Amino acid sequence: MTLAIFRAALLLLLRDRGALLMTLVVPVVFFLIFAEIFATAAGDQLQLRVAIVDEVRSEDSTRLLKALTAVPAVRPVAGVADREAARDLVRRGTADVGLVIRADGEELATANGLAAPPLLLLVDPSRSVTATVLAGQLQRAYFTALPDLAVGRVAELVGTEFTEFTPAQQAEIDAGLAGLREAAGAAEGSRPAGWTFDELLERDDVAGQNAALNNVAYYAGAVAFMFLLFAAAQGALGLLDDQEAGILDRVAAGPGGIAVVTNGRFLFLTLQGLVQASLIFGCAWLVYGVDVPGNFGPWLMITVSSAVLAAGLGLLLVTGCRTRAQAQVLPTVVILIMSAIGGSMVPRFFMPHWLQQVGWVTPNTWALEAYSGVFWRSEPALQLVPICLALAGIGVAALGLSHWFGQRLVRD
Amino acid sequence: MDSEPLLIVRGALRRFGDRTALAGADLAARKGEVLVLLGPNGAGKTTLLRALAGRVRLDAGQIRIGGGTPDDRAVRRRVGFVPQSIALWGRLPVRTNLEILGRLAGLPRQDVAAAVDEALAWSGLAERAADRVDDLSGGMQRRINIAAGTLHRPDLLLLDEPTVGLDPVARESVHRVLASLRDRGMGLILTTHDLPEAEALADRVAVLAGGVVRAADTIPILVGRLFGSDQEVLLMLASEPAPDLRDFLRTTLFSPTNEPRLWVGRLRGGLEQLPGLRSGLVAAGADIDELRVRQPGLHGVFVELTGTVPQQ
Repeated sequence: MTLAIFRAALLLLLRDRGALLMTLVVPVVFFLIFAEIFATAAGDQLQLRVAIVDEVRSEDSTRLLKALTAVPAVRPVAGVADREAARDLVRRGTADVGLVIRADGEELATANGLAAPPLLLLVDPSRSVTATVLAGQLQRAYFTALPDLAVGRVAELVGTEFTEFTPAQQAEIDAGLAGLREAAGAAEGSRPAGWTFDELLERDDVAGQNAALNNVAYYAGAVAFMFLLFAAAQGALGLLDDQEAGILDRVAAGPGGIAVVTNGRFLFLTLQGLVQASLIFGCAWLVYGVDVPGNFGPWLMITVSSAVLAAGLGLLLVTGCRTRAQAQVLPTVVILIMSAIGGSMVPRFFMPHWLQQVGWVTPNTWALEAYSGVFWRSEPALQLVPICLALAGIGVAALGLSHWFGQRLVRD
Repeated sequence: MDSEPLLIVRGALRRFGDRTALAGADLAARKGEVLVLLGPNGAGKTTLLRALAGRVRLDAGQIRIGGGTPDDRAVRRRVGFVPQSIALWGRLPVRTNLEILGRLAGLPRQDVAAAVDEALAWSGLAERAADRVDDLSGGMQRRINIAAGTLHRPDLLLLDEPTVGLDPVARESVHRVLASLRDRGMGLILTTHDLPEAEALADRVAVLAGGVVRAADTIPILVGRLFGSDQEVLLMLASEPAPDLRDFLRTTLFSPTNEPRLWVGRLRGGLEQLPGLRSGLVAAGADIDELRVRQPGLHGVFVELTGTVPQQ
């Protein structure tokens, strides 16, 4: 008898292609995506797009940049004209972080912290970790490419703080440093520094106002959009309840047809999404001080278009399924994958380059970029219009498709 | 009663894959009459009803309701549809359900309240208007289910097994509701497996089998047409008949049914013929469990036209 039930369960699974897909294929796809993301984020494959400007163009700066760009984790953004251009690239998200070897700072060889540091990092606070990663790579490159400077600074420190070198000793040190400089081209690895490397670095946040709160704003957007999608799909499941109760049949026989049902639910889900996102951002404003009131217009524009998209997509995902079991699983899987790739779970700069490009297929990326534009880059509302129109347009198109699929729910 | 047919169905054909649900059904219905669709399972009753409601597209044939097709918006305003299930939001109050469904049926906003009050009054549920649908009894839910299909005062109301699952008392209350709708001039077409219900409600019955309407008329006319002055004989055998007995039964005007031991036939020439029939059957090897004669009625019509015994 036990085997009979086992057989029935097996046959039911084998004959339900949707369930089979969910059970055997989707988990593997899911694993591959998350493995790709987290292997990069937690491993050594992280690749930063760095907007590099060398204002000094000295022998030392050239050696440093050569060593830095040889590191796989650093991918220079091409064609960066000057510091402002680099700042703009970081602000717009085209580059993850910027590096300026500045002309208005100390020299790399003699920096002692008494004036502006020679290296300037241009950082988007929402991607603060990129500065830490780049600083680490810079340190590695510095000791690889400029060991003479590093040891020279140690020698200088010893000479000033502990003992005075005799002229002979000083000559010997200088000769040694010269040898080091010559050998540095092929040198690998770093040597311990006797001073703080951070003295060479200065960090400049390129965000707009309220930069310190940008991380909260990022996650407010990320979480809000992901839950807009989840709530819309869950709400759209009500269509199936209505179908099972016969309500769809009754209404579809009326003058409005099935379109009335899908349109009505679309409006409801859009409003539900708007309220949901308002609560999340309201909380971000009240608890963390994210300046929602100061950016209310653009925020509303993005949130309404995101809610429209979520409502349309939720309806499409549910009406596109043939069984309730599919409708309960498929939207969840699709939304989780979109959220993972689109940056709702892990910031996209943690992902390999190809996955970042794939992310643009997801509406999550568009919405998060739009929220970034408002809260981090203080972009004018007009610049957000194309993204908002695209989001809303896709939502309306999805509604149109769900009308078509919805007919299947009531037609024999 | 309006003599012009409100509904005309000609040659309705509908296939689902290899299965033919409607095989050229013809039907007509008038305003102010109750037409009951009868037939065994798979005869095409529900498919025909759903086609009338525009929920099933025909592969061939046509349906005209008041001069239009079921897909016409204007026609949909003249038709009400009551699904077999309780097509209501169970967690919402009765009144709220009716208000929403009234709007969805095309009622102008300003007319909804009056229509809901009226529906609550004739369905006898005015006092339960504020209760959740889930809290009502099965009979009350059925009445509200019907009321929800009539809010826009349709000329034609389509009901799919409106009393299925109800006890006799609740069923009677639904019958009263349906009769009152008929008295208001509404045309009703309903499906049922319950012959006493059909006899109680129907002005006319349409008997379907194999996807076609075998006959449609009043019950007395159908009985007269099929039986004349003959009486109906029910023969219940103790076991399934052997092939020889089967052949004999067919030659003596008995017809098989879907119950192998039950055969129906007709008795010509009055009750005095019965002993002769019995002895003939016994001589042919029949082990008779029961041999019963009765005045032919809808049961006989059903068996004659469909070759099956109706579900009890």
